[in-house]
Order: sequence, then C-alpha cells, then structure tokens
Amino acid sequence: MVLEEEIPRFAAWIGPALVRYLFAGGLAAVCAAGAAWLTQAIAHGPLAAGDRVYRGILAGLADLAGTSPRRVWALARLAVQESLRRNVLVVLGVFGLILLFAGWFLDPASVDPGKLYIGFILAATNFLVCAVVLLLSVFSLPADIKSRTIQTVTTKPVRTGEIVLGRILGFALVGTVLLAIMGAAGWAFVVRSVSHTHGVAPEDLLDTTDESGATVGATGRTSLDRGHRHRVVIGPDGTGVAETAQGHRHRVRRVEGGYEIGAAEGLLEARRPLRGTLRFLDRDGRPSAKGISVGSEWAYRQYIEGGTPAAAIWTFSGLSERAFPDGLPLEMIVRVFRTHKGRIEDGIHGTVQLRNPDSGQRSEAFPIVAREFSIDELFIPRRVGTMLADGGTREVDLYEELVADGRLEVWLQCLEPGQYYGVAQADFFMRTGNGSFVVNYAKGCLGIWFAMLIVTALGVMFSTFLAGPVAMLATLAVILVGQFRGFIARLFESQVTGDFSIVPGGGPIESLVRIATQESITVDWDPTPAAQVIKAADTVLLAPMRLAASIFPSLSELGTGDFVTAGFAIPGDLLAAHAAETLGFVVAFALAGAFCLKAREIAS
Amino acid sequence: MNVSGPSRSGVGDGRGDVIVETRNLSKTYRDFWGRRKKVALKPLDLEIRRGEIFGLLGPNGSGKTTTLKLLLGLIFPTSGEALVFGSEATDVRKNERIGYLPEESYLYKFLDAEETLDFYGRLFDMPPDERRRRALMLIEMVGLARDRKRQLREYSKGMTRRIGVAQALINDPELVMLDEPTSGLDPIGTREMKDLIVDLKARGKTVIMCSHLLADVEDVCDRIAVLHQGELKELGRVEDLLRVGDVTQIRARGLPPAAEAEIREVLARHGGTGVEIGNPKTTLEDLFLEVVRDAEARPGRRAAASLRGGDDHSTRAG
Repeated sequence: MVLEEEIPRFAAWIGPALVRYLFAGGLAAVCAAGAAWLTQAIAHGPLAAGDRVYRGILAGLADLAGTSPRRVWALARLAVQESLRRNVLVVLGVFGLILLFAGWFLDPASVDPGKLYIGFILAATNFLVCAVVLLLSVFSLPADIKSRTIQTVTTKPVRTGEIVLGRILGFALVGTVLLAIMGAAGWAFVVRSVSHTHGVAPEDLLDTTDESGATVGATGRTSLDRGHRHRVVIGPDGTGVAETAQGHRHRVRRVEGGYEIGAAEGLLEARRPLRGTLRFLDRDGRPSAKGISVGSEWAYRQYIEGGTPAAAIWTFSGLSERAFPDGLPLEMIVRVFRTHKGRIEDGIHGTVQLRNPDSGQRSEAFPIVAREFSIDELFIPRRVGTMLADGGTREVDLYEELVADGRLEVWLQCLEPGQYYGVAQADFFMRTGNGSFVVNYAKGCLGIWFAMLIVTALGVMFSTFLAGPVAMLATLAVILVGQFRGFIARLFESQVTGDFSIVPGGGPIESLVRIATQESITVDWDPTPAAQVIKAADTVLLAPMRLAASIFPSLSELGTGDFVTAGFAIPGDLLAAHAAETLGFVVAFALAGAFCLKAREIAS
Repeated sequence: MNVSGPSRSGVGDGRGDVIVETRNLSKTYRDFWGRRKKVALKPLDLEIRRGEIFGLLGPNGSGKTTTLKLLLGLIFPTSGEALVFGSEATDVRKNERIGYLPEESYLYKFLDAEETLDFYGRLFDMPPDERRRRALMLIEMVGLARDRKRQLREYSKGMTRRIGVAQALINDPELVMLDEPTSGLDPIGTREMKDLIVDLKARGKTVIMCSHLLADVEDVCDRIAVLHQGELKELGRVEDLLRVGDVTQIRARGLPPAAEAEIREVLARHGGTGVEIGNPKTTLEDLFLEVVRDAEARPGRRAAASLRGGDDHSTRAG
C-alpha cells in the first residue's frame, strides 16, 4: 500500500497541529472581521462600522455562551424528520441496486478480488453518503428561508449557532445511520463475494517420495474456481497448503476419501506492520539518497538495477525475541520494471539478506521471486546461516548475532541484469500480528464518517448565506481545492521559487496560453516581458489559492480505505489525528456558519 | 423566562411600562450593488406600553410588516433603533418573552399539531412536562384536539392559523406580535381570535397586531398607528381617532316621541338626567381611507386634524 509519509504519533502531532489550527482560525477570523468592517464602512462610515462589527462579535460570542443542548437537539430532530420527509432512505435502495450490479460486473477472477470488492464498496458508500448529506445540508436552510418557516424559529430564543449546529447534528445523524446500514450491507457483500473454496481431484495430485521411495506427501493443484487455482503441497501428516494465488491461500487437510480445502486466508486481513527506514546503494555500491528513476512521474517508488551492487536497505528497530520469538515474518511488496520482457509469467529473481548494522555481519542470501501486485512473504527463522570471511557459512541465532539493540538491516538486491526492482519505504515490513478485519473495516467506515461530517458542516455553513445550488457548488469547490491542496502548494512553490521542475507548465494563465499555443510544458519560457507579466499574474492568482488550499480539508487524506483494501490495520494514531482534524473543521465551519447567519437578514 | 439584558434606555419594566420603543427607526432595502431599491420605513418613533393592544394599519407596502420584522430582529434597521423590553431588537434573549404569529403560518408541514408545539416548546428550553401541559392546553384552546395527530399539510387554512396562534403562545409570552391574525379565518374563527386577543390583554399581555381588516382592529385595539408609504400618518387611541369632534350625539332608550320635545326643551335649558350625550363615531374604514387620500394629496405631512374633527365639539339634538 502507498504510504507517502510516516504516520506520526498522535501525542507528538496534536501540539503543533493545534497551534497551526489556532493560527489559521485566528487569521480567518481577522480577515472575516476586516471584510465585515469594510462592507459596513461603505454604508455607515468607518466609526459606525467599527462599532457594529465590535457589537456583532460580542453578540455572537454571547450567543455561543447561551447555547442550549435542548434547542440544538430539537433542531437536530427536525433536520432528521425533514430528511425522512425528503425520502432520504431511497438512497438505501440505490445502494442495493449498486450491490446487485457490483455482484454482476465485478470480476471475482481479478488479480486481487478482495481489494477490488472492498475498494468498490467503500468508494460507493463514501460517494453515496457524502452526496446525500451534501444535498440535505445545502438545500435545507435556504428552503426554510424561502418558505419563511425559519421566521417562526428565529423569533424564538434560538441562537444562530444552535440552528447551524442542530442542522449539522441532524444531517450527520442521518448520514451516520445510512453509513451504518451501507457499511454493514457492504461488509456482508464483500465477505460473501470473496468467500470460496476449491476441490482437489485425486487425479490432480502426485505423490512425492523421499530417497527411499516412500511416499511423504503430495503435490498438485486445486480445481479452477473463480478464475484461479492454487498449487497444492501436502506434507506427510496429510495437512498442507494451497499456495498463494490472487492474494490468498487455503489450508488443506486430509479427510475421509480425499482432501478438504479450507476457507481463503489473506483476502480480508488487517496486518499490523513494523516498518523500517529505507536507504539505497547505487549500481556501484555507493550510498545514494534515492534509487533510480525509471521515468515514472510518480516518484513514490525508487528503483534498483538488477545484476549490480545496487541495493535497497531497510533498517528496522524494535525487533526483539519477545515480540518475534520464532523468527521474523518479513513481508514485501516489490514492483518490477522490465527493460526486456523475459518470461512475463515468471517473477524477477532477487535476494534478501540480513545484516548487523553494528558489526556488519551478514546472513546468507534468501532467494526471492518478485511477483507484481502481491505481498510476498519471507519467514526468517531464528537460526540463519551467516557468511564467513573464508567463504563458508555458519549457523547463528538471529537475535544473538544479527540483531543489534533491536536493530537489523534488510538488504534487497535484484539478480537479473536489465531488470529493476521498485520499492518504497513502506514496502518492507515485519508483520507484528493481525487485527480484526471487521474492526479494520469499521475503521475504514469511520474515515467515511469523518468526510461525511465535514461535507455536512461545509454545506450547512455555505447554506447560511448562499442559495441552495450556489451553496452546493461552493461546497464542491472547497472539496476540490482541498483534494488538490498538495498540487496547489507545489505549484505555488514552483511559481515563487522559479523552479519549474517542481511543477512544469506554470500557473493558470501560463497553462492556458500553453494549451492555446500547444506548447510543451517541459520547455520553460524565455524571460520576455510578456512571459514575466504572465508569470507574475499567475503568482498573484495562486497566492489566495495557496492560502485556501492550506486551510481547506482534503477528504481523500481523511479516508483510510486504502489501508482496508491493502489489508493493513489502520493505525490508531492516524485515526485519532483524523478525528481531531475533523472536529477542528466542523467547529470552524459551525462557527463561521453561525456568524454568517447572524449577520444576514432572515426576512429580507 | 426573564430577559436579563441591560436596559439601554430605561424602557421596559421601569419607565412607565414602555416595552417597545422605536427611535428614528428606518429601513431602506438595497440591491446587490448597494443601490437604494425601496424605502420601506421612514424614521419612526413609537412607544408601546404594557397591557395595550396596539394596531399597525396601512395599505400594502406601507411598512407595517417591515416595522414588525424590525421589532422581531428579522431584519436590521438602516438607521435608528428598535428596543424591545429595553434590549435591542436583534438581541435574541428578548424572544423568550415574545410570541409571534406570522402573516402566513410558516410552520413545518410534516409535523402534526403536538409535534409542532413540542418542537417550539423545546426552542424555549421548556422541560418536557411543561411542554406537554402547555401543548395540550393550547391545542384544546384553539379547538384542534380532534386533529392534533394530523400532519399540518392536511390542515385547512383556518386550522393552520389556529395552530399558528398556539405556537405563538407556547411560552406564555408577555408580548404577542400578530401579523394579520384574522387572515383566512371564517367569521366565527375571526370572532374567537378577537376574543382571544382581548383575553390576552385581560391577562396583562401586550399585543401588537398588523391587519388590513379595519373592523377587527377597531374592535380590539386600544391604540393604532396608520402608516402610508413607510411613513407614520396617524397615531393615537382608537376612540379618540374615531371621534367626530364637531358633532354631539345624544342617545336615549325607550323614550316616547313626546319626550324628545321635552328633551330638546330641557337641553335648551342646559340640563337633564337619564340622557346619554356623546360624540358619534365614524367607522375606522372611513377614517383609514380619508387618511390615505389625505396622505396622497399632501405627501410628507401628518393627517389633518380636521379629518377627525379637531377638538371642536358642537351639540346637536336628536
């Protein structure tokens, strides 16, 4: 799975995050107060405007202090009733239809059906839940204002903050119920869709014999089900395994009259990984900050060249006999870049070697075959052979000779010249255990819930001063800018520093000109006066976008569905950080909505 | 349910029980670009005292509903200020003592009568028992006991009006603002509404009402303000405004015709007993139309005193 940045500890993250939040919130509040003063100053003069803004802020704060949970709950209940009146439950029927079509069109014979099904279900749930709360939240308040029912509410001792909060709470409740139902139905659908077993026909098994000719087991293959079959290896005790195919395996045991193949394992998992830090050696064996770029625009994975001393080296910490008493369960995601086709159905051969980071003592190389699109497993036993200076080997205890203070280096090298291994830091890890898939799936749904809350709060905030359709567009615009906030930040940096290798092609105006003139984005403009004017204008245009992008939420970053689909347990630290981030956005949007509603004339 | 906001003017519970006061209150609607679109209310000074029924009269677009909205804080004044219970009209805490019935009953149609009153009761932070007690009492009072479980979408206009009144009274308000309270009601409903308004006054409530139905206003209001094109044209007690000052009316019951001559004779001699002599009244409708005609003829001026006969009194027998 892709993990571009390390997940910080929540305790270490929350302090700086809170400071940034308060700073951004304070800045936004000052800007809003300035804008309010400006508009009032035009109508009433600067002094009166100042007085009005000051009194408005005081009144707003007093309103916040007088917030009543009972009123908020009453308005939340009303929002729920209104949602039901709008037949919001129809969306469950739509979801049911989607499941029907998914069962029809999703291919269980795909490379990794678990990933396909989970990814689809989470994406569909995310889209539907967010779309429903978006529609509810942006149209509710404008409809109330248009029908004037809001007048019977605001003429009661109701604070604007309560109106905003009540709506957010009500629609969030509706979204939560929908999410819970869709999540449960989706889980059942995924489990039922990927669950399968195989048969083993006697004619598909061949006995294996030892040197004396005695039968010690059998090998063969399973039946072809759901577009795949497994290679079966059965030991002398009659138990065995149907080896990994399509991201899963099965246990095999002898029963009366044949063999029984168990349920699929590895399809719906929640691995708990222990990750290390990654460094590289180049083709000459010299340390290198990066691997080789094979031309992919996405520089997440770096490549090492086969048949050379180039290596990717992970340094793991915290390895102990207590945590891994039997050995190290190393799991690897190794991508391959081929400069020649070779036998495409075969993997690319390489080695994994262990090294003591202090003494430099190395283990024997473990041969591996990198298969694309799967997680390869390599169990490193307690007793491993080590290389001696005279070329011989000696068997040593892993923890006594190779692990130094809990640290161990794992070297990956590609053996085939002309082929490349591509890896990222998160690609090698020790599996410390397995979490519950159901819990992990629920955590994935929690990520959707966070996104749903933010969409609701954002929609309600915009609906306090915009008409329904405009509020919807504004909400979508914020979500869109948030989605591309990383790109906008890099683009702005590129404009300001003049380093167009960060993002080639320039800002909006330059891009437009390049599109119109069909110029390549890889060729920078000569510094003509016209080019400089355009670049300066782009910088001016990008500045507010950069500011907005830094404070707008990125829903995709809040999502944790990738962990679930890739079969990794969602870290608690990440979830806690997302929860805090969501709370921060909801509070900010609720406050902004309350002040906007207070500042507008309800009955004009 | 007391509002504890600071009194900016000494009005409210202190000075002469003035609970609503406007000072140079005006409202100009502007378009998106800030250009003046309509002057809805020209500077208005009003005082409304506790326990009175105050009527706002005027033709369409005269500014009476604008005045009500300004008092409720639904819109903001362009200049001047509106004080309710001594607090600015935009102070939401004043609403704890106010009941409001809008021109149309802007209620949530998907709720039934009980749910509606329960909802509005919650907005007043009322505890559940009190909410329930008040809701049942009000539903009974407005005659909707049999229909309390029906959604408001199924209600007739008159029924909607009644539940609207009930929601306006859910908090037992001190000040009730009614916008066209008899609109959509049949004659019986109209009579009941007027009885209710008078009853509210009897219980010490203050009522401010807008209405086009002049007879209704005449029947229940103590004082009225007549607005025209956003300007106050007339303000005073109804009985004073309706008095025809240059005519004296004498009424008597059960007198034989012969007695009239004797009364005239007696009157001629300056005196008598058992004879009622007073000022005959015109109708409010006549006054209203004359005020409007006068306002159009002489824009920018208050209605002429001659319209109500000034202070002149003349006696006319018979």
